[in-house]
Amino acid sequence: METRQQGSILFSAVLILIALLVVIQLWLVAAALEALVARQFVVLVPTAIASGMLFVLSGGLLWYVVSFDARLRQWGPGG
Amino acid sequence: MADERPRWREDFPVRWDEDNYMTRRELAKFLTLGSGLLASVNVLIAFIGLTGRAPATPVRRIAGVDEVAPGGSLLFRYPTDDDPCILVRDAAGRIDAFSQVCTHLSCAVVHRPGDDVLTCPCHKGSFSASEGLPLAGPPTRRLPRIVIERRGADLVATGVEV
Repeated sequence: METRQQGSILFSAVLILIALLVVIQLWLVAAALEALVARQFVVLVPTAIASGMLFVLSGGLLWYVVSFDARLRQWGPGG
Repeated sequence: MADERPRWREDFPVRWDEDNYMTRRELAKFLTLGSGLLASVNVLIAFIGLTGRAPATPVRRIAGVDEVAPGGSLLFRYPTDDDPCILVRDAAGRIDAFSQVCTHLSCAVVHRPGDDVLTCPCHKGSFSASEGLPLAGPPTRRLPRIVIERRGADLVATGVEV
């Protein structure tokens, strides 16, 4: 398999993973809102930390895949 | 040599399909931006929850001790007039009070004396009338307890335990 094709598959996989992380964050926001309304304050800090960690993970994945793409372009077609 | 491009091209230089085209890289950036936004919202919710003032809980007379018969119940509002509550006295004379708002979808719970439970007629949820713990149905959280003190011949509400 050519490196370019591998890169394309990697990009798609990372894209799906980031989308999945965003869905989990949506769920965390819903849970935090419900906890706020129910005055279950003990839930709020862990959900905020988890959401922040997911954001860092998303950013890390984006950085990884963009830098991989840049290296791929530097090598030229065919890898 | 004359330019063969139609003149309208000067006003509309970008094809509509190219205009709507979004690369995977742009989508990944957009999703990561959304991720950051959601993380910010979560931090904001935590900030509001941790810094928001708890509602004041005044000391308020609810009823006389003899006004609630054993096995009976009494509806009242505490700490504000917008917070419906229910006071329950079991057959042995023990008195407990809870928020009347079901923790599932906020319907009003009612006392079922025979089983000594508080039931929600909307989705058949039920709570223990002595502890406020969910026993059956959709609710998963307990009912907030209203702290009741006996002061002479009066029952007085002094606080809310979530």
